[in-house]
Amino acid sequence: MAKGNFFANMKISRKLVAVFLVTSIIAMAVNIFIYFNLNQALDKINSVFSSNISLNELSDNLNELHSGLTGYLETKGTDDLELYYASSQKMNEMMKNLNDEVTDNSIKLSERDIRNMLETYLKTADEAIQAKRGRNIDEYTAKYNECSKIKEYLNTYIYSINNEQFRTNSENYQALVNSLRYTEIMSMLIFAVASVMNVLLIIVLTNTITRPLTRLSAKAEEISMGSPENVEPLEVVSDDEVGKVTNAFNEMLASIKDYIARIRTQLITQSEMKEKNLLMETHLKDAQLKYLQSQINPHFLFNTLNAGAQLAMMEGADRTGEYIRKMADFFRYNVKKTSETVKLSEEIELVDSYIYILNVRFAGEIIFEKDIDETLLDVMVPSMIIQPLVENSIKYGIKDVEPGDGKITLSIYREGDNCCIRVSDNGIGTDEDIIEKIMSNEKKPSETRGVGITNVMERLDLHYNNREVFEIKSKKNEGTQVTIKIPMEAGNV
Amino acid sequence: MKVSRNRIAVTVLASIVLVLFCVTVAGLFYYREMIRKLGEVQEENFNEYPRLYAYIAEDPDSQLSNSIYKEISEYAQENGCYVEMTGQNLSTRYSKADRINIAISSKVDGIILEGDESEETAQLIDKATANGIPVVTVLSDCDGSSRKSFVGLNNYTLGTEYGKELTAISADNQNKALNVLILLDRDDGNADDITHSAIQEYATGRGIFLTSSIVDTSTPFTSQEDVMNVLDSLEKIPDVIICLNDRTTESVYQCIVDKNLVGQTTILGFFDSETILKAIDKGSVYATFAIEANNVAKQCVDALNEYNDSGFVSEYYSSNYVLINRANISNYKPEENEDG
Repeated sequence: MAKGNFFANMKISRKLVAVFLVTSIIAMAVNIFIYFNLNQALDKINSVFSSNISLNELSDNLNELHSGLTGYLETKGTDDLELYYASSQKMNEMMKNLNDEVTDNSIKLSERDIRNMLETYLKTADEAIQAKRGRNIDEYTAKYNECSKIKEYLNTYIYSINNEQFRTNSENYQALVNSLRYTEIMSMLIFAVASVMNVLLIIVLTNTITRPLTRLSAKAEEISMGSPENVEPLEVVSDDEVGKVTNAFNEMLASIKDYIARIRTQLITQSEMKEKNLLMETHLKDAQLKYLQSQINPHFLFNTLNAGAQLAMMEGADRTGEYIRKMADFFRYNVKKTSETVKLSEEIELVDSYIYILNVRFAGEIIFEKDIDETLLDVMVPSMIIQPLVENSIKYGIKDVEPGDGKITLSIYREGDNCCIRVSDNGIGTDEDIIEKIMSNEKKPSETRGVGITNVMERLDLHYNNREVFEIKSKKNEGTQVTIKIPMEAGNV
Repeated sequence: MKVSRNRIAVTVLASIVLVLFCVTVAGLFYYREMIRKLGEVQEENFNEYPRLYAYIAEDPDSQLSNSIYKEISEYAQENGCYVEMTGQNLSTRYSKADRINIAISSKVDGIILEGDESEETAQLIDKATANGIPVVTVLSDCDGSSRKSFVGLNNYTLGTEYGKELTAISADNQNKALNVLILLDRDDGNADDITHSAIQEYATGRGIFLTSSIVDTSTPFTSQEDVMNVLDSLEKIPDVIICLNDRTTESVYQCIVDKNLVGQTTILGFFDSETILKAIDKGSVYATFAIEANNVAKQCVDALNEYNDSGFVSEYYSSNYVLINRANISNYKPEENEDG
């Protein structure tokens, strides 16, 4: 494992060199081994018949020795003596290679016999030469005869052992030649195995190098697909260039994750703040609305009138009772509908009640006309928006008109996506500057005279988020026309 | 998941590489060893001995000599010396004298010689002694030579034993008079004469009439021809034929079979070759006398070892013959088979 780490921590260039070197060394070692074995086999084949060759040399040398001896004994020639001594010296050298131990191996034993017979021969030959020098013919003739006999034995021995060795050597030669064929097959096999091994080694080692890169690219692809926060960092297995890149990659991944987390927190905070602001605004609006509605709270009147209506019923004063009931309805509406939107039909009913009350009060002086698109009766509108307008028309429009001539018209009609509510009178009209002041919200309504036009305007502004839904038109001595345009959005109808 | 699969693949590949590597290395070493061993086998399997003795037989092809040499060789190797049969496995067939000369020239530590009475042999024994090589004669002695010891067989006893067998055969034939032919070996010197005399001595007065013929056994082919000639020259086939030589015994047995005379004559043989033992088993040969080869071998090797160790040795060792007939042949057959 430590070795694996050592390899993993190497630089890529060194890794590649190592792969190349290892495979090359294996191939080279196999080649050297095969070369060495082939050489060894060839050397063995070459040496097979060397024993035959040396025996033949021995035999040749013996013949030279004997011819030297014969020549010297015949003529006492110095050349022959030289030949004899040279051969004798050579023979002594050659004899050293022969076995001199008693063994149960027939060839070795024959070698020993040859060696000893050669020694006897040399000894006898030396004695013959000495006798020749002493001119003792009988002795050197006898010695020479003995030498000749020994030479004959020797030649027979050499010939026999040569034959025996030739037979063995031929068997060896055949075996070696066969083995050479095995060597060829074996070499091919070893070479094939080494090649396969090299290929596998290269696959393993290059895989070790490229695997981290593949993993890195896969991770990068994973990140590029989105949601990097779900991507796990890569394990660093090496300390090479890829390892460093992987480290940097992991750090980058960690920074991206951190950045995303921070942005998310920021967004959540912002959205919470926005929500809070909106809530505050809503509360403010509610507060303002409640404040304005509290101004027109008619509780005490409603309670009082309820009692009056019951009294009138008991006394049989039906008109009084009806009058008081209408008043009660008027104020009940106020109590009930202060904080919610109502149907347009309910608003119209309130106006009807209000006109009835006034007509009783002023003995039918006010002419009230309605021009209503029945399809718009269910449109939802903020409560108490028509009655103040009618009240205003009565108070400021037709108050100075001759009794019985004052006329108020309520029109409800459709105009595009808007539901238009128009209250018009035939009164004295309103000055342009007053209209301007009302529209610019400068003129404050009188606190003691019920719900004023300004209050209606403010409420409409709040409800419809400052849309321009309110319009006042007036002509001198021709009357005033106030129009509210209610946008018919989803939920209004 | 992908990574772990990669790791498994890498591990598997690495294992394959390792296994291939180990197999290759093992194969290489096995192959190297095979090449190295080639041609060395012959030279490796041999033992060394401190002493070398030469065995010189009268006839290196004779079964008797080979049987004795085999026993001598085995006993010698058990006792720290090696015996070679000089002249064997050579391309030239040498005479006994040449073989003695070879043994002397090759400086052996001792010679075991099947002796004879010739002058030449006596001189060669003297030459060997002069070169410091002790000579022990076996089977036949060489009188007047400087041989150190003689491991001999009691031929007189052998003759008496033949006589006893003749008496037994006579008894089987209601004590009818027996005509006996003794085939003597031309080269065997006085050994056969002693045997002949002992038989003669034993037979006298027992209704046994002896005749003898000489057979030439000097070469492998003459024996059979001579036996055939002798048998052809006879007017009447003898009741008993006594053979004093292994080759003569086998030749007579073969002639009797060839001439369809089985049952008409009784053969008393010599030596325990496989052919002779088979013939005894079949009843074609009545009995044979065999040498106690292991005893002879022991005496020869011991005599030389004793002389080499102490410089002295007993001049005469005696050994007896054993009788093999149908009654005791089962004791010899298995051994024969083992020796094979």
